[in-house]
Amino acid sequence: MDKGAAAGTIDRNADIPGSANQPLLQVRDLHTHFFTESGIVKAVNGVSFEIQRGERLAIVGESGSGKSAMAMSLIQLIAYPGKLVSGSVRLDGKELVGLSEAELNKLRGSAIGTVFQDPMTSLDPVMTIEEQMVLPIRKHLKLGSKEARKHALGLLNQVGIPDADKRISSYPFEMSGGMRQRVMIAMALSCKPKLILADEPTTALDVTIQAQIVELLKTLTETTGSAMMFITHDLGLVARFAQKVAVMYAGKIVEYGTVDEIFNSPRHPYTQSLLKTIPSVSGEKRVRLLQIQGFPPDMKLPIIGCSYKERCPAASERCNNDSPELMPRQGRQLAACWLKNGLMTEGYESITTQLSRGELNALTKQERVNTADAAGVITTERSALPVGANEGDATRINAFVADDANIVLQITDLHKHFKKTSMLPWKKDSEIRAVNGISFKLRRGETIGIVGESGCGKSTTARMLLKLDEPTGGRIELNGNIQIVFQDPYSSFNPKMKIAEIISEPLDVRKIGTKEEKQLIVRELIQKVGLDPSYLERYPSQLSGGQRQRIGVARALALNPTVVVADEPTSALDVSVRAQIINLLCDLKEELKLSFVFISHDLSTVRYISDKIAVMYLGEIVEYGAAEEIFVNPAHPYTKALLAAVPVPDPKIEASRSIELLKGELPSPAAPPAGCAFSSRCPQVTVLCTERKPALQEYLERREVACHAVS
Amino acid sequence: MLSYAIKRVMQLIVTMFGVVTLVFFAIRMIPGDPAAAMAGDNLSGAALEEFRQRLGLDAPLWQQYTDYIQSVARFDFGSTITTSLPIAGLMLKALPITLMVAGLTVLLSVLIAIPLGTLAAFLANKGKKKLDNAITWTAMVVDLMPAFWTALLLMLFLSLNLRLLPASGTVSLEDPMLMLKRIALPVLVLAISQVATLARITRTAVLEVLNEDYVRTARSLGMSEIAVVFRHALKNAMLPIITVVGLSFGNLLNGTVIVEFIFSIPGIGTLLVYGINSRDYPLVQNVILFYAFVFVAINFITDIIYKKVDPRVQF
Repeated sequence: MDKGAAAGTIDRNADIPGSANQPLLQVRDLHTHFFTESGIVKAVNGVSFEIQRGERLAIVGESGSGKSAMAMSLIQLIAYPGKLVSGSVRLDGKELVGLSEAELNKLRGSAIGTVFQDPMTSLDPVMTIEEQMVLPIRKHLKLGSKEARKHALGLLNQVGIPDADKRISSYPFEMSGGMRQRVMIAMALSCKPKLILADEPTTALDVTIQAQIVELLKTLTETTGSAMMFITHDLGLVARFAQKVAVMYAGKIVEYGTVDEIFNSPRHPYTQSLLKTIPSVSGEKRVRLLQIQGFPPDMKLPIIGCSYKERCPAASERCNNDSPELMPRQGRQLAACWLKNGLMTEGYESITTQLSRGELNALTKQERVNTADAAGVITTERSALPVGANEGDATRINAFVADDANIVLQITDLHKHFKKTSMLPWKKDSEIRAVNGISFKLRRGETIGIVGESGCGKSTTARMLLKLDEPTGGRIELNGNIQIVFQDPYSSFNPKMKIAEIISEPLDVRKIGTKEEKQLIVRELIQKVGLDPSYLERYPSQLSGGQRQRIGVARALALNPTVVVADEPTSALDVSVRAQIINLLCDLKEELKLSFVFISHDLSTVRYISDKIAVMYLGEIVEYGAAEEIFVNPAHPYTKALLAAVPVPDPKIEASRSIELLKGELPSPAAPPAGCAFSSRCPQVTVLCTERKPALQEYLERREVACHAVS
Repeated sequence: MLSYAIKRVMQLIVTMFGVVTLVFFAIRMIPGDPAAAMAGDNLSGAALEEFRQRLGLDAPLWQQYTDYIQSVARFDFGSTITTSLPIAGLMLKALPITLMVAGLTVLLSVLIAIPLGTLAAFLANKGKKKLDNAITWTAMVVDLMPAFWTALLLMLFLSLNLRLLPASGTVSLEDPMLMLKRIALPVLVLAISQVATLARITRTAVLEVLNEDYVRTARSLGMSEIAVVFRHALKNAMLPIITVVGLSFGNLLNGTVIVEFIFSIPGIGTLLVYGINSRDYPLVQNVILFYAFVFVAINFITDIIYKKVDPRVQF
């Protein structure tokens, strides 16, 4: 069915000068179905593409778009009840579909290496690194156990594991997430693969570690000449890392091109919208994020016409009946859309901006400039305050210096130390200073973003705010009541309760209202979060992730809180859904004058929603101030490093900036470095830093920074 | 590790103390006492009273209790009332037989159940539902058959009809072949239900591990299915399996009471039944004390094996 696409790709091959005649990987019309009891899920539904030698291809798409199933189909490791139904996968011209398990096992781990998403679960917990690495090496390279061990040590050194000869005999649980992912990469590389499949290799990691791993993968592919297929939903990473991009939607590739083509002139409406759903960590701040309406189609049902038609503002009669194949556009670009330029076709041009509530005309213009001429935007990039700093920002900044009226939450010198006492009298007690003296104020209608790597004390702070943990020192003064929106909408509801019961549970606990009153409140709440009251009769399992998170918000609002703690509320969600939730939170903030404590490691989201920001490192606030100013002009070296680590969804910016990687990992909170806690990783460290801890001092007008180098 | 050992010993003492106390009072609540049980119908009231005095049963209850606790603390288990034989000696003689029955049962059931359960899990993981269902359902049905019933059934079939194994006769360590033949039936009876339980647990545990990410990693490295199942899946599934084997060893001690009685094997179980029937207080107390000790010891051993299998386990 993808004959047009196939022809297109072959043609493209011909114009690459000096390339080998044959691409490394050729995938043709691949179909993988999951035969579940409730129907056949066509997860991969006709995918064709090629990867050249040494090339890095990014596969982008929402969860459920078939990215992972497609990658696993390449090495035919699809878990039951999945099955590769038809298609062809050629590696170096050799057909892989139809090979026996034994023949495939010779290729898996040798010619094709795989790196998986979650390093915490992808290594066998009861085997040492050596045991796990050596056997595949012995099998594929036919080495003896001593040589195999030597080979493994070399690989561990190559991926930057310090003390490799000691680390090789440790167990995975004795290593950090970053180290484990390095081990995974070493394993994938162990037999000089021609192709590396990486399935969201950095999603489970902190930004600073993510930056290290991406850099490592980039260097490794460059030095070894391995090609790489890289699955991700993070468009920033694509811009930083990929050379080619394939966008997947509903089991098919809907757009393909070089990274510049995709980011500068996307042709498919889905890609075009996707690029606008993401808040950006740098440059102009968008007033409202675009949200793609609706949901991806149910893959159990047959799709007639274009799979994106229900969500596409430019859908026409033709899209309902005919499914567009990948068709060549300019350059090497291919897109599966009847319209040559997707939403940028005349007549539809304004749809994306209208959708984003384009009542702000100035912004609409800015957006057009953005897409029309990305290069122009880059030059103004990072230049102090954004030129068009809009009114909203100005009021926010004013709010920060305003007097202390309207304070709803005040935290003073908050501490939480976890003590571990041993039964044996001669053993020393150890103490972990999870939160070590933080202070901030929050006014009505204001949002504070707390950012930092995992282990910095963000979540402990949230727990104390909700009185789930008793502070060991300091004060929390709260004016009104406080509620929480949890991270994972999949596990934070009782699956046996109806949505109506979930939302009214806080009311039941406080014994507020009669049955009828409660029903009324619940109906009001669910509408407030943008869902139809008909959802009240459903169970959580019948809702999508985004809908569930809306229910989470509704439940938090039930008791009319003054402050809402949002602990990573968007990190379990897809990009397009994330935008919906962020917009919802922003609306509620305006409408109800709510104050938010927004905890996240996703800096671009934090920037988007927060008025001020507290950057935490090892239980302490190292920088505190107005959000825009911190993002535009960070002062503390840690903030700078954190911001630099976040990839920007713009390949030109990514190519032009040199990323100063933060060395090493977060030190153990049980044994923080003497002096400044950041001294062990700081690029500007001096002797003073290792001796004396810098206090949080005023810097510029509206900021506090704890750094010797800054004051 | 050291603080763990200390904790464990304290636990042991508390548990034993509780068991001793409970048994001491519980057995005295059963109507009748050793004197009456021994005397039968032909002793007059006065003679019975004198008999009680000699056994120390006329002393107040609390005094009997403290005396008993003191003797246990001295590791002095005394002698039986009915036969005046030293209890420690009786238990030492019965112990090897019971341990052999229980040990062989565990060995046999592990050898059958783990491969069977693993096979079922592997089939389920590959989507071969029919074979897996056949194994699982058979295991379930067998699991629900009560031991006394299978015992009689097997006795009828193997001993009476086929005359393969003896259903009764002397049991002594001097003739190992005969001994093995003699305990084969009880071991078989006990193992049948063990195999069923253990196979089901193994299937569940292995199946869960087969869906883990690290199994996928192993497969992506080109490991064969045999290596995947035995090196990764089974090793990780061992934890729940060990727990169940440990627990089943305890349950087996219960089971031996009935089975030893049915097959008249002179093990600890038979000793206990004899003690209860004759209201031999010291005998019952000490046998149960011993049972309690074995339970705690098995728990301890299970924990040690845990640590060996899974390096993440911290004490």
